[in-house]
Amino acid sequence: MGIHLLYIEDDAEIGTWVNDDLKGRGYEVTWLQNGERAVDHAAGCRLVILDVMLPGLDGFTVGQRLKKAYPDLPILMLSARTSIDDKLEGLQFADDYVTKPFHPDELAARIEVLLRRSGSYSSEALALGHLLVYERENRIMNKDTGEEIVLTGKQFQIFMYLLRHLGQILTKEQIYEGVWGDPYLDGDKTLMVHIRYLREKLERDPANPEIIETIRGVGYRVKA
Amino acid sequence: MRKTKLPKPRFRGSLLSRYLLLILIALLFIPVLFPASVIGYQVVQNMAIGNALPDAGIQPEERYQTIHLEKMWHNEAKRLKGSTPEEIDRRLRELSEEYAKVDMFWVDADSHVRQPAGGRLHLPETWDAADAISYMKRYRGATQQFSVIAFIGDDEKLNRGFMVMQVSKAAIGPRDGGLSARESMVFFGIILLMFVLFIIVSWMFFMNMRRRLLRLQSAMTVQDGSGLPDPIAVRKSDEIGQLEAAFNGMVDRLDRSLKREREEEELRKRLIANLSHDLRTPLTVVRSHVYSLQKEQLSERGQELLKLTETKLGDLAGLIDNLLSYNLLTSGKYTLHPERIDVLRIVRESAAAWYPLWEKEGFEADIDLPEGPVYWMLDAQWFRRILDNLFQNVVRHARSGQYIGIRTATDAAGGLAIVIADKGKGMQASSGDKGAGIGLAIVGFLTREMGLGMEIRSAEGGTSVMISPAAGDEPGLKLR
Repeated sequence: MGIHLLYIEDDAEIGTWVNDDLKGRGYEVTWLQNGERAVDHAAGCRLVILDVMLPGLDGFTVGQRLKKAYPDLPILMLSARTSIDDKLEGLQFADDYVTKPFHPDELAARIEVLLRRSGSYSSEALALGHLLVYERENRIMNKDTGEEIVLTGKQFQIFMYLLRHLGQILTKEQIYEGVWGDPYLDGDKTLMVHIRYLREKLERDPANPEIIETIRGVGYRVKA
Repeated sequence: MRKTKLPKPRFRGSLLSRYLLLILIALLFIPVLFPASVIGYQVVQNMAIGNALPDAGIQPEERYQTIHLEKMWHNEAKRLKGSTPEEIDRRLRELSEEYAKVDMFWVDADSHVRQPAGGRLHLPETWDAADAISYMKRYRGATQQFSVIAFIGDDEKLNRGFMVMQVSKAAIGPRDGGLSARESMVFFGIILLMFVLFIIVSWMFFMNMRRRLLRLQSAMTVQDGSGLPDPIAVRKSDEIGQLEAAFNGMVDRLDRSLKREREEEELRKRLIANLSHDLRTPLTVVRSHVYSLQKEQLSERGQELLKLTETKLGDLAGLIDNLLSYNLLTSGKYTLHPERIDVLRIVRESAAAWYPLWEKEGFEADIDLPEGPVYWMLDAQWFRRILDNLFQNVVRHARSGQYIGIRTATDAAGGLAIVIADKGKGMQASSGDKGAGIGLAIVGFLTREMGLGMEIRSAEGGTSVMISPAAGDEPGLKLR
């Protein structure tokens, strides 16, 4: 059984298409054409895809109600409206924002990222190069040697943070603040030291990293 | 141009009439006012003397006025008609006591000179014609003496003799024959007062005019919330009053046209907002069909056309997005919240978000930013929007260069600037891909609002956009 998503969209044509596309990707989708009973249907869902322009209750109100009922439920806003203040208003409760017209691949990628970030991803092992990562069990296996890789607490936190943002480039500031929870201070080498040790443990060749990629001038990325 | 007809001000109550009145008064000053005041003064003086009794109601000093003395002497002479010489002697004695400064004597019908006791004059015993002549020669012509001769009974034909009084002009003071110091002071005072009054009235006339014009001027410069001056209260119907009324009319018309303009602007913005929403929904549908079509078995040519269609759909969506954003931005819906922010951090985060797309498009991303934080006063949301638009322009319009460079540079003022460069064909080149304009217009608007400077250099080998806290003064293509 696939992951259950709640999809709220009034436009029949777009709704049909997205519904079919998501089902084709293995998700179980509940599609509602208005937001009146969204909270009732949200039970058991892992993620909500919410259109802003809805008849009756607008998407923002529905989103706020959902967030109140299920604070941990990720909400992806989907809208034809793009304006800075819509984004701000939406992001107060929404976890991400996709504007119409969107590419189904983009939507699917955002859904994946959100699910991963919310920690509600499958118990199946994630294959990254020569690594197998069991997120639920906090276990990392080296396929080449068949040995488990043991990380220190901070190393593990950093790696998990990168995994939750799989495929996303994260700046040093974002990683530091995401893991340590403190504001990043200029010239702080702590993170770079941790990354170096992490690579020594994870990479086949720490001089040419394949798992944790350096994006020059920007940050780091773990590619799916 | 339509001309609004205003009623002509009536002559009465107009500035013109009041000004003419002033001029008229000024003209009447010399030929009328001076003589009138002189005559008026004399009439008043004469009335005062004429009404006065010799020994009552007259001030001691006024008794010695020549005009009064002369009148008194003739009156006394008239009253002594038929009196005995003894009675005349007695009356003269009384009078000489009353008028101590005056010397008096009389000559009876028998030509005997009779002087009251204590008289100071040296007179002959009898008075013949020769004495009369010599007296007249001595006193009447003298300038230092004032004398009056009256026949007893004030009638020559009675032949009862005559009475003479004489007084030194020094004794009666300078008023003799002219005005006393007090009188001339009063007279000149009145003239001066009239001059001052005239000046005050003219001054008030012009000050009043000036005050009203200044009020009008300040009313024109003071603005209310809408940027228009407030109407002014019209108090008079003269020329300035007409001007004020015309001013009010103008303010009213401006106000109405401004309201109309705002309504039209509001309508236009609502239209664009609705339109872009209404366009986006079918666009999503079209895109979904294109996507579905890509999964079908198509010829190579078919796939190629489909890819092109998808690209164009993306451009169209971006264009609508920008149109809506520009519409919302310029309607002043967003308020700027500048904070002290590390600009490099925002640039890095923004580049991180765009990086996958550059990778996908095969761009070489050359990002070279220093480590340390660089703080600018920015609204992070707005600055991200600027970067998004610039990056989007590179992807859309400089695809041929396959390059994006993000680095820092030193601006004209010696400060740090962010440079975004590509190796496209340049902005002047007609890439067939229009639509960079509105994206740049948004960037221009946002940088201006945040007090940032933007400098664009575009050549055939590529375009670079430099953003710095201060407006750069170096030559280059600049946005409005």
